[in-house]
Amino acid sequence: MDNIEKELRTVIAKLFEEKKIDLVIGYTKGTLPLVSTPIFLKEEKDVDKLIFDVSCGNNLVKYLKRHRIVNMKDTKVAIIAKGCDGRAIVQYIAEGQIKRDDVLIIGVPCEGVVDPKKIRSKTNGKEVSQYRIEDKKIILKGNDFEISLNKSDVLSDFCLRCRYPNAPLYDIFITEPTKSVGTKDEYEKVNEFEKLTSSQRWQYFENEMSKCLRCYACRNACPMCYCEDCFVDQSNPQWFGKGTDLSDTIIFHIVRVIHTAGRCVDCGACARACPVNIELDLLNTKAGKEIQERFGYTPGLDPDETPAMAAYDAEDKQEFIL
Amino acid sequence: MSNNSSNKSVLVVGAGIAGIQAALDSAELGADVHLIERTPSIGGRMPQLDKTFPTNDCSICILAPKMTECARHPGITLHIYSSLLSVTGEPGDFQCTIKEHARYVDPEKCVSCGLCEEKCPVKIVDEFDMELRQRKVIHRYFLQSIPSSYVIDSTRCLYFTKGVCRLCEKACAADAIDFDDKDKIITLNCGAVILASGIDPHNPIGYGQYGYKRFKNVVTSLEFERMLSASGPQRGHIVRPSDTEEPKRIAFIQCVGSRDIEKKNDYCSSVCCMYAIKQAIIAKEHIKKTEPTIFFIDIRAFGKDFDKYYERAKSQFGVQFTRARVAEIKQDNGDDLRLSFTSEYGKRESEVFDLVVLSVGLEPRKAMKEIQDIIDIKFDEYGFCRTEPFEPLNTTRPGIFVCGAASGPKDIPESVMSASGAVADCAEFLALKRQEKVSKKVFPEEKDTIGDRPRIGAFICHCGTNIAGVVDVNNVVEFAKTLPNVEHAQDIMYACSQDSLDIIKENIKEHNLNRILVAACTPRTHEPLFRETLREAGLNQYLFEMANIRDQCSWAHMNEPELATEKAKDLVEMGVAKARNLFPLKGLPVEINPKALVIGGGLAGMIASLAIADVGYEVYLLEKKKELGGNLRNIYNTLGDKDPQEFLRDTIKKLKDNKLITIFKNVDLLNIDGYIGNYKTAFTEENGKSKKEIEHGIVIVATGAEESKPDEYLYGKHKRVTTQIEFEKKIADLPRYKTIVMIQCVGSREGERLYCSRVCCGQAIKNALLIKKSHPNTEIYILYRDIRTYGLMEKYYSQARDNGIIFMRYDLEHKPQVEPLGKDNINGSLKIATFDLLLNKKVTIEAELLVLSTAIDAPQANKELAKMLKVPLNKEAFFLEAHMKLRPVDFATDGVFMCGLAHCPKNIDESIIQAKAAAARALTILTKKIIEAEGTISWVSPERCTACGVCVKVCAYSAVELKEKTIAPKITRMVAEINEALCKGCGVCAASCRSGAINLRGFTDDQIYEALSAVRI
Amino acid sequence: MKEWQPKILAFLCNWCSYAGADLAGVSRIQYPPNIRVIRVPCSGRIDPIFVLKCLENGFDGVLVSGCHPGDCHYISGNYVARRKFAVLKAILEFIGIEPGRVQFSWVSAGEGEKFAQVISKVTEDIKELGPAKRLVKSF
Repeated sequence: MDNIEKELRTVIAKLFEEKKIDLVIGYTKGTLPLVSTPIFLKEEKDVDKLIFDVSCGNNLVKYLKRHRIVNMKDTKVAIIAKGCDGRAIVQYIAEGQIKRDDVLIIGVPCEGVVDPKKIRSKTNGKEVSQYRIEDKKIILKGNDFEISLNKSDVLSDFCLRCRYPNAPLYDIFITEPTKSVGTKDEYEKVNEFEKLTSSQRWQYFENEMSKCLRCYACRNACPMCYCEDCFVDQSNPQWFGKGTDLSDTIIFHIVRVIHTAGRCVDCGACARACPVNIELDLLNTKAGKEIQERFGYTPGLDPDETPAMAAYDAEDKQEFIL
Repeated sequence: MSNNSSNKSVLVVGAGIAGIQAALDSAELGADVHLIERTPSIGGRMPQLDKTFPTNDCSICILAPKMTECARHPGITLHIYSSLLSVTGEPGDFQCTIKEHARYVDPEKCVSCGLCEEKCPVKIVDEFDMELRQRKVIHRYFLQSIPSSYVIDSTRCLYFTKGVCRLCEKACAADAIDFDDKDKIITLNCGAVILASGIDPHNPIGYGQYGYKRFKNVVTSLEFERMLSASGPQRGHIVRPSDTEEPKRIAFIQCVGSRDIEKKNDYCSSVCCMYAIKQAIIAKEHIKKTEPTIFFIDIRAFGKDFDKYYERAKSQFGVQFTRARVAEIKQDNGDDLRLSFTSEYGKRESEVFDLVVLSVGLEPRKAMKEIQDIIDIKFDEYGFCRTEPFEPLNTTRPGIFVCGAASGPKDIPESVMSASGAVADCAEFLALKRQEKVSKKVFPEEKDTIGDRPRIGAFICHCGTNIAGVVDVNNVVEFAKTLPNVEHAQDIMYACSQDSLDIIKENIKEHNLNRILVAACTPRTHEPLFRETLREAGLNQYLFEMANIRDQCSWAHMNEPELATEKAKDLVEMGVAKARNLFPLKGLPVEINPKALVIGGGLAGMIASLAIADVGYEVYLLEKKKELGGNLRNIYNTLGDKDPQEFLRDTIKKLKDNKLITIFKNVDLLNIDGYIGNYKTAFTEENGKSKKEIEHGIVIVATGAEESKPDEYLYGKHKRVTTQIEFEKKIADLPRYKTIVMIQCVGSREGERLYCSRVCCGQAIKNALLIKKSHPNTEIYILYRDIRTYGLMEKYYSQARDNGIIFMRYDLEHKPQVEPLGKDNINGSLKIATFDLLLNKKVTIEAELLVLSTAIDAPQANKELAKMLKVPLNKEAFFLEAHMKLRPVDFATDGVFMCGLAHCPKNIDESIIQAKAAAARALTILTKKIIEAEGTISWVSPERCTACGVCVKVCAYSAVELKEKTIAPKITRMVAEINEALCKGCGVCAASCRSGAINLRGFTDDQIYEALSAVRI
Repeated sequence: MKEWQPKILAFLCNWCSYAGADLAGVSRIQYPPNIRVIRVPCSGRIDPIFVLKCLENGFDGVLVSGCHPGDCHYISGNYVARRKFAVLKAILEFIGIEPGRVQFSWVSAGEGEKFAQVISKVTEDIKELGPAKRLVKSF
């Protein structure tokens, strides 16, 4: 990791020096250990603030578009991209949200980021003040404890089944692309869930969704939720209620999944953002599986490929149609 | 030839697909059209068909909208159930006498409810269903007939034959039966006539050996078509007539009544191979376990994408193809059928089938023969209308044009093309002028209702007892009165009758209504009528909604009156909810620049240019090369005795003499921008010397295609191996060779080119006959896979065999092998080895010359052009039309057309026809100063749009584009924009837009939300 | 007591399925009176939101019907729609909406009988499932 950060800082410093960039969107240490925070770096002198390690979970791509809207067209932007960030960038290009030349992509080899919720459960909620990585272990230190955990026990579920750890498109790659991909079957959870009866599944979602506060953190964190005006906030007609009525809530989540189907890059931002720990990725992964199996499409890999829901094939499967 | 008569009306004879197309295009060009039809409905043969090849489109589904359009067109007068008696007078001023047969049912009053039919006691065989079922004497020709009204067949009616009955009259609540109706003879003054009299299927009774009518399980292909049809006598369940069992083995026998000198039908009917393949595929789809076998001589899958269909039939559906003429059919084991035939390998065989379908050929209509003299035109030896190769749409009498299969066998798209083509000739002949107005009818000025509170009028129709007999209409009326914004609700006996329409208009005035709901039959047939009523009352026509409480309620739930009434109330409430949210719509007027751009100066491009300029519109003709003429420059002879080079010289002269045509040569296209009526094109001419920019209203793509250069059979490596085109150039000065060999399908129908190049069989036979003429002793071998001399070309194939030209078949497993005779000698003779399938052994021919019939390739430049025009190509880079069957020269994008080899390989006469068709279709736009875009189209709320581009990608009409726009002060960004001139109103963009930025007028989110929320649950 | 009658909303495309429904009527083919029809130009016009709103409003079932592949009056509207429907159906069933509640069909203008069969089947399926409860909002 140290190598990566070192090279990252050197490269960025050089880019600033050569005036190739005006702004870097990257990660820096947050107030809590293991929770990094986005940074918008504008000067070479600040490069040491940049970090990249297991704490860098956020998907930064969402900021790319915001930057574009506020009319900073002439600013040259660089972005630090893990695999999922990189896929989101590709999807943005495919959907015309940015142009390839708008951004300098700095790929970083991602071997997964931690799930703070998993950490908390391992430390029984005790505050971690320091951490370090040793091969496949992560060592956590707090006021009165030090524990060594298997990385695989605290990495985000998304990372454990990640297939694309490196950005598919990049201008510069820090060190070199990693070969380590997630070992878990990407659809395991979905496949297991599908085995339940219809009623059991409904029961599960009813319970799960009844926790939802309609805070829209999932939507706000999702790089693919970039609508100017989300369907749920629209009137004329106002299709669904905005309160916490369970039907309205479930439908909100269904529509969000339909709207991100064939576009979701599995970054896990939604689940990470959810304050009440709803297992949002279950639905998204199901949609992803369907898109992959039916249409052979994986979002965020090829900026020239037409996104699945904007395309068709005369031979698409239609076993469900009478 | 143009005439100066002031008569701008056209008589179209026959309302099959060709006649309908000819009528529509003529009317769109501003002519007054009289369309006469022998049967009680327009539609012709297409409604009898189940599906159409090679797309398996449902025939009536694609035809019905055209029928409706035709029946509603203000420029078209229908004369249904009528026959042509005579055409007298002079070209430009014909007197056409027609007989309108008495229908005995007033079409104005008949509401097609069918009560009369129920009561009618006499059953007779139904000719529409090929006598496979019975119908009543009072009947509707077929379910989707237009007009939909009933007709009495007086020859079998009890009242007319025995003076008793009149039960239908008692049953009819609409008072539509009129036993006093009489045949009427009327005379129409018409400037020109278009014959579209179509064909009859061959009656195979003369083929005694096949046992038609003797054996129950031998049927004709048209009978089988009705058996396949979902609305046919068997409702699409294929069962054999003898025992209503599903047939396990079906045999199709090709060329029954075609390619048969004995029957004097020495022509190929062109469509039977394809329809048999289609029927075999559909049969297989219906009954998985069935095994269809097609017995054929040659499979003539010569049209666009036909060979792919043929290959799919074999590989995907397992259809068996047996190359053999069936000698005889005998009954076996009861009603099974044993077919005896000699296989291609000379072996006598027999096989047993459950059902035999005779693929009967197309014959000229017998009725036409009778009037041949009356209308004074010449027919050929078969009875088809005689035409000349370079004037394929002209009959022998000036001012009378012909289209469709009346002049020779044609499939549907060819019929459509020839119909449009005939209209181009007709337009020139009649010297049609540019039209000032969009519509011929004048309506009062529209009342401005924007901002007014909705005041809805609800009219609930009894439709005699059709609705009221099941649904409690009064209950529905009372219910409607309680709904918000309903100012007036009433019942009405027949909402569509003239007096009812007047009642609606009076109520609009009296109650100041600004939205109208009619609960009656289906909007598919009646919405236009009621919309017109609204316009007459000064309301915007889109402030109208219908609730379908007949076709989709009372008729479908006849035994459940209470539930039907409940349903009717829901439908009315939904209709009122939608009506409340309707707003006035207006189609955007689009001004039309009356100039045409034709891309490509080959035969098709030249003919299209002339056809447009001859009607008086300016044309820019762009040619990539330094000379006009394209492939025609290399063609020196035709089958028959016409000189193509003379024709080429004449055509070029006409082009140069025509002041309306500007020709640019050595052109490189840079850019084409714009949309229907308003295009801008930039190009360089004279090899980049000067850059030009032109403005025009339409585009015709005529970029042609080229002969490919093969890399097999020693081509390019041996001096005595040549292509047909190269050969044709030298043919006049050919030395006397002892032996010449021709190989067909070089590069075609295999590998990447899974299509037939269509022209090569005719071309090879043409060239072979020419050699035989000058050197009768030269031996000529033609090695072929299937000889595809379709249509009237067949007789030249017979002639070639009579002249001693030897035809030997090869297949892909045994392709001919060519080597130089004598080592390393690339100038000497050749040794050609081929496998004789009949003798089952290799045969070697020594030849002084080998001529290769090579494939036709689409130019690679098509890809660039397709991008510029935003139009699609097929897999082989030929341009892809809007619809394979019914829109063969149009693109989905309005204002762009195609013709000639850019579309697919074709012969000279076919290119001429398609070029004229493209011109006519283009003229339907150019002749209008303004066209009105559709009212029900999409619109964008730019503040919501994120420019994700889904809408652009899902739009089939290239009607959506992303453009930079200032959507609020200081906010400029990319947003989607709908081109109103191109949008067709399908709503795919609206449904695909995640941001809710796109909506569809007439079917807005709001309207749908309100309608579905109106239902009480 | 009278038999419970489910209410089913049917979205029919104008050119094929709506015409097929008309043809069923013209041919007097009888089918259950449980559907309420909304006519749309093309099955491509159907936003999955429409279907969800029907379920929330308490319709016991929803049917969406368009032209057969290749028959679309708007060239490819039904192909684009088919992808939406596949995803919608998969997600609905995944969260536990009974498979019979939301159904899709292709019915051509010539298939009056098929239309009646589809409506009979969908109605029977839904009668078997009983009144809709899941996703239904209590207003």
